[in-house]
Amino acid sequence: MIFLCAISFGQNNYSLSGTVVDKNSEPLTGAAVTLLPIEKGAIVDARGKYTISGLTKGTYTVTVSFIGFKSVVDTILINGSKTYNARLVEASINLHEVVVAYDYAKTRKKEEALNVEIVNEKYLKQNMGGSLMKTLERLPGITTIDIGSGQSKPVIRGLGFNRVVVVENGVKHEGQEWGEDHGLEIDQYAVDNLEIIKGPASLMYGSDAIGGVIDLKNRNLPADNSIGGTVDLSGKTNNNLVGSSISMYGRKKWFFADLRATILDYGDYKVPTDSVDIYSYRAALYKNHLRNTAGKEQNLNLSFGIIQRKFLSRFFVSDVNTKSGFFANAHGLEPRNVDAGLHDKSSNDIHFPYQKVNHFKTINKSEYTWGNLKFESDLGFQRNFRQEWSQYVSHGYMPAVFPGSQGFDADLERQFEKYVYSSNLKFTYYKNDFFQLLVGLNSEYQDNRIDGRGFIIPAFKQLSVGGFLLAKYALSAKSSIQMGVRYDYTHIKTLRYNDWFSSPVISLDNDITLQYLTRADAISRHFSNTSWSVGYNYNLPTLSFKTNVGKSFRVPIAKELAANGVNYHHFSYEAGKPDLSPEVSYQLDAGVEYNSNAIAMGVTPFLNYFSNYIYLNPTSEHDRLYGNGNQIYNYTQSEVFRYGGEMHAHYQVIESLRVGVMGEFVYSKQLSGEKKGFTLPFSPPASMILNVKYDKRKIKSAENLYLSIDYRITAPQNNIVPPEESTDGYQIINISLGGDVKLLNQKISISMQVQNLLNTKYFNHTSYYRLINVPEPGRNLIMNISIPFSGKIK
Amino acid sequence: MKKAEISILSIFLLIALNSCEKNEDIDSQKPAIDLYIQDAFPDNCDTLYFGETFYMKTLFTDNVQLGSYSIDIHNNFDHHSHSTEVTEPNLDPIKSPVNPFVFIQDYSIPNGLRKYETNLPITIPSGNSVGAFDEGDYHFFISLTDKEGWSVQKGLSIKILYR
Repeated sequence: MIFLCAISFGQNNYSLSGTVVDKNSEPLTGAAVTLLPIEKGAIVDARGKYTISGLTKGTYTVTVSFIGFKSVVDTILINGSKTYNARLVEASINLHEVVVAYDYAKTRKKEEALNVEIVNEKYLKQNMGGSLMKTLERLPGITTIDIGSGQSKPVIRGLGFNRVVVVENGVKHEGQEWGEDHGLEIDQYAVDNLEIIKGPASLMYGSDAIGGVIDLKNRNLPADNSIGGTVDLSGKTNNNLVGSSISMYGRKKWFFADLRATILDYGDYKVPTDSVDIYSYRAALYKNHLRNTAGKEQNLNLSFGIIQRKFLSRFFVSDVNTKSGFFANAHGLEPRNVDAGLHDKSSNDIHFPYQKVNHFKTINKSEYTWGNLKFESDLGFQRNFRQEWSQYVSHGYMPAVFPGSQGFDADLERQFEKYVYSSNLKFTYYKNDFFQLLVGLNSEYQDNRIDGRGFIIPAFKQLSVGGFLLAKYALSAKSSIQMGVRYDYTHIKTLRYNDWFSSPVISLDNDITLQYLTRADAISRHFSNTSWSVGYNYNLPTLSFKTNVGKSFRVPIAKELAANGVNYHHFSYEAGKPDLSPEVSYQLDAGVEYNSNAIAMGVTPFLNYFSNYIYLNPTSEHDRLYGNGNQIYNYTQSEVFRYGGEMHAHYQVIESLRVGVMGEFVYSKQLSGEKKGFTLPFSPPASMILNVKYDKRKIKSAENLYLSIDYRITAPQNNIVPPEESTDGYQIINISLGGDVKLLNQKISISMQVQNLLNTKYFNHTSYYRLINVPEPGRNLIMNISIPFSGKIK
Repeated sequence: MKKAEISILSIFLLIALNSCEKNEDIDSQKPAIDLYIQDAFPDNCDTLYFGETFYMKTLFTDNVQLGSYSIDIHNNFDHHSHSTEVTEPNLDPIKSPVNPFVFIQDYSIPNGLRKYETNLPITIPSGNSVGAFDEGDYHFFISLTDKEGWSVQKGLSIKILYR
């Protein structure tokens, strides 16, 4: 082991350890212990124990906090390694407000060499958008690719689709990530806190984490012998959304359970324009409604588990159901005439074309602690079922009248059914406060089936297995290094696909025969890859510095290898390349953060190089037979260089008033290939938010009041690649305000937002509908009322 | 420490501002289809005839170099879509196709041209092995690319009838 070289430490290297329990002496796993002013901290483990190491001599303020319990604040003199035990008393109102996460966030950010953002429940409520990803869009470095008002995909520093991994409760979420019109199937209300890793994180998350990771966590553990819940009521004026999410949780000694049901119903969303130019065709909009973009969502989440001194095991079961319409005048990007009478009758109904998605997920998450060893396992099963319905249109050589007995409905355009089995095992060895070793093993099996009249990706089966080793070593009280290596093996097998209709094939001697074309051949590919990462952290009381360098990779997906069909949403004939090699990326990340009482500021720049970025390249050719006369788009690989970063600066003017600025930008350039000199598709423009936030802990009986004004300035995006259009810059104002009020002794949390206050007409460069000139939603008033209730089990 | 902070911040901002400059050495202009040159044919709402040959006359232009184009003629008996033109001809009542005419072809454009006027003969047969083709509303769809892969589409609403 390279870490065994002896390093002598000075006398200034003490630790603080102890146990945190409740009044029945049960361990409070997950409680946070924080030391101020150095903001060092630790999370209490399953045995109720914690250790904060690397301390220098001095007097500190120690805070022990946990959801549903009164925090303990104490002063402690450290002049040697000390023990501090705490017994927390339950708070009278069991609002699971995440005070903890704030301290945890700071600690986590300091310990991680990659750039991370931690988001808690409070942030999610105060900034709630049409979907989870829309809510996160305010964070620097995060953008979204949207379709309609309820569907969006995450983009981290300009990389999206299969280049961002979404993890829920330890298991990678698997849907149809490649699709531009496919949103993320997650119940926004069920997410309590999340962590975003900006930058390549293949080391711990495997292939696809090449752009970053969004790690979602469901509710923290309820306190012993408690019962409670929340009723959330939401409304939005722009698309007439009404929604409710009700949750209940309880814990009796070692058993706990949590149930949540969510229902959302929304109408067509409104845009500040009365017509949309689809190519040169002008489609009039009825009362500013983007025709047929209504939708609904019904979700159920159940979790239950047991907690013992050394053992914690939780089951998560979720079922997410959505049905949402596509803009009727342009299915995808294909302009359409519509039956205005039918579509404009009600703004709440959903007609053709629409999509229906069901995502079912079961996860077991367990951990077992044994002396210095911790063993964690995350096992998951998922089924993603997606259908896209639209009226039968005979494109290309498809028969003009749909012949029956094809095994699928004439109006079923595409269907994807994916079964995913995942298993992640992790061993952690805490040798001492200075050295920890992590060994992990991830495996996943995917079985993807297809149906419907349109062919875009073949059915496939994919097995991935990967193992990693990660070591964390404290060089001194202030600095630490982390390094790891990973090996992955992936086998992907795509299935052969023949058209269900015949096309006229012209032979060399000009004979025309009708043939059922083979769109995709059976392909079997094996990939293996080594990735690595080295990171360094240096933390002073007010200044911290981090840097990380690493190699990440991504295995080509079935669509990139074997697509062969017309994407009528784009007028493109997309052809895969069966011999693509895995995408490899090298990235250098850095971060500097300064925190004093009144000022917080930081920058997180990055440099990134892809030796072979996989890219769908629009060529100058057209294809008759397979492409039905459409432009050929080929998957190719090119060298790509990218750089960019995020910055933020906040100044606490007075106790309750804070001003701040956040900014992000990304620059990409293809260094080789047919699009040498061009950028990458969906490049987010540089953007900045100027913010003023007023906070007041208490005014009469109202508590935790806030008023926040965001002025967002987004630069124009003129750095484009076919088939994109340049997008003008824009400025919009968003306001959020809220607080907790008491009504008949019942606490009620209210959060309100006005998005796009001035009803500005602007275009989002990364919106799927950008190409057909659909502006972003107009003014939207959002209201969320959250009513917590709690009690005790005798 | 503050100094270091400020200098890092200013370097960052400098890079940010620098990147906003437009990259001038790449082609970022789409080609164009001009349907309004003299003798242009067909135009929106024009009529073609089965059993006859017509000459497609259109002007293609690009700032650097043209790529290729394709023609797609298919029925619009269900009034489904793809007109990119503002004016719509009077459509016949919706009907079910029996033996509709389908025409798809891709064409190359000689290398190195910035301007290309088509004079393309297209013959519409009166029928196939199944029988006579259906009369009525059709779409005439043109797709044009340039060498860089920029593309533009035009969809015309036409009628194909028996004379």
